[in-house]
Amino acid sequence: MLIWQNLVYALVLGSTYALMVIGLTMIYGILKILHIAHAGIYTLGAYVGLFILLHLSDNFWVALPLAMLASGLAGVLIYRGMYYYMLTKPRIIPLISSIGLFIALQELYRLVAGPYQKAFPAKFSFLSIKTEYLIVTSKQMLIIVLTAVFLLALYFIINRTKLGLGWQACSQDIEMAGAMGVNVNRVVALNFFIGSALAGAAGVLMALYRNSVYPTMGAVVAYKAFVVVVLGGFGSVTGGVVAGLLLALVETMLGSLEWFEFPRDAIAFLVLIFTLMFRPKGLFGR
Amino acid sequence: MKLKVAVVGISLILLFLAAGLALQEETIKIGFFAPLTGFAAADGMSALRGAQIAVDFINEAGGINGKKIELIYYDDACKADEAAAIARKLIERDKVVIGISGSYSTPTRAAAAIFQEAGVPMISAYAIHPSIILTGELIFRVGLGAPVEGIAGAVLAVEKLGAQRIAILTMDNDFGVALSEWFKRKIEEINSKRVEAGMAAKQVEIVYEKRYPLGETEFRELLTAIKAKEPELIWATAYFHEAANIVSQARELGIEVPIIGQEGYDSPKFIELGGPATEGTIIVTDLNRDSDREIVRRFLEEYEKRTGIPADMVGASAFDAVQVAAYAIKVGGTEAEAIAEAINGIKDFEEAVTGPFYYFKDREAVRPVEIQIVKGGEFHYFMTFTDPEVITPPAL
Repeated sequence: MLIWQNLVYALVLGSTYALMVIGLTMIYGILKILHIAHAGIYTLGAYVGLFILLHLSDNFWVALPLAMLASGLAGVLIYRGMYYYMLTKPRIIPLISSIGLFIALQELYRLVAGPYQKAFPAKFSFLSIKTEYLIVTSKQMLIIVLTAVFLLALYFIINRTKLGLGWQACSQDIEMAGAMGVNVNRVVALNFFIGSALAGAAGVLMALYRNSVYPTMGAVVAYKAFVVVVLGGFGSVTGGVVAGLLLALVETMLGSLEWFEFPRDAIAFLVLIFTLMFRPKGLFGR
Repeated sequence: MKLKVAVVGISLILLFLAAGLALQEETIKIGFFAPLTGFAAADGMSALRGAQIAVDFINEAGGINGKKIELIYYDDACKADEAAAIARKLIERDKVVIGISGSYSTPTRAAAAIFQEAGVPMISAYAIHPSIILTGELIFRVGLGAPVEGIAGAVLAVEKLGAQRIAILTMDNDFGVALSEWFKRKIEEINSKRVEAGMAAKQVEIVYEKRYPLGETEFRELLTAIKAKEPELIWATAYFHEAANIVSQARELGIEVPIIGQEGYDSPKFIELGGPATEGTIIVTDLNRDSDREIVRRFLEEYEKRTGIPADMVGASAFDAVQVAAYAIKVGGTEAEAIAEAINGIKDFEEAVTGPFYYFKDREAVRPVEIQIVKGGEFHYFMTFTDPEVITPPAL
């Protein structure tokens, strides 16, 4: 039963990674930009969610969609206000700008909301399992179910809608897609919107799960999400999701061993090194 | 004529300037540093406020021998290199008479080295690492040190709470490791005594032990493994954020045995972030919120009045550090050696919130160890250790 219990934790953790990686890998797939500031959107989602809980409604189901909306819009803003002007520049320019933006965002949150960790007082009820052998709390159930719903919705969008078709076209060859009449600008903007909304959702869910919001909460997620992108293969959403779950599984299983004292967060780095050394394309990369 | 006016005018200006400067020099400068930003900001701000309350109390009562105290403070963001730079600034530029660390062990160690080398005394308000006061003759500590805290924790766990199977979770930094090390040493000592007394079956067993990195927020797989070992008690060293996660996740998993924390838990943030799961957590600290000593009540009221939140050990320790510094300056003057001598000569110092300080041994305050428990969302009295065997810092 220990295995099953640990599997639950891995699923929850993997869900967060999956939600984060989707935006990152989609953006890379189309624009070939490493969007480091994505983790800043994760934190933004958490803070917006907190703000709503404290000032509008303490109902989680009100806070979540609003936080996702705000995050989505912020993502579009970053594209239209920053990356848009860097699309033809060498790749290092948007990369450095993204890093700078991420750092600036963390400082902004600190200045506005203070450096303290804050509790996340959300009210909600959800399914839960409590047996002698397995405990799945309502928060854990919520994260797993919600992520599954989001992933299903995403699958539907990518494979069954015109928007999704435009996406796939853009990520294969953006110039050709544009020449074929795809509204590249719209596709990219929607791409940013959805990816950022999911990142915001991840932020809200983690704020709920750990009951804390603080300016640097995105720092670890920032580089771990990248490890997942590399492991899954740049541009592959399926790869990203699978890689996210895999990394979470490895972290959880190794963490449960009493003798394993390597810090959990460093495992991701090791995975990154090995992937780049032995299979730089990632699991599902093209 | 114009020349005479100019000369008189300039002389007057210079005179006023000199008078102004002379008036300015009438304050006694005390240096202070704490993490005002970063993950430890809640503790740093609390320490600063505690120190400021002490400064205000003293100045309201007339200052030290007629002179007011001026607290010169900087933010070290809980980083050793920042603290070292701040120490140099306080010594060379601000020319403080004494320095007080309102910060954690790692930055405090760095600063202590600088203060000792420059010949300026420094008091560690609450940083616990043993090596801090070993830095030199001018470095003192008013807070609990790791040895006493770990030893008291072991006596609490084994002799008062009667646990024989204990799981240990250690935060992997100066603070967490030192605490667990002394906890385990005392347990070994207790075990030896039990064997000698023919009670070998009553030995304490450490059924699980693991380190985790500072900043970790996910403990569920560790706790699941701990749960499988069926301990009677968990000793977990942590700061308030990690502690909140450990305790809330443990309860979520259905672990119901007592969890013993230390001064790192001693913050309203622990209760805020950990939520209702924190009920019943017992901690080893030195602030008794239920004390009826006058200085405690005065401090607690003033702190809550100024901040709107209840005070914590960190604020109380910073307050006490200023109190001790002011006393030493009053008695000994501003020379470093005299200040050190004054502190070493302290006996039954009642004006400390985390006191009374019975005396200073090897530059560390010896006083009661308070055990507090979370009840009704607040820290309350559980018990006090005054037994010299527990509260006297061991020889290092």
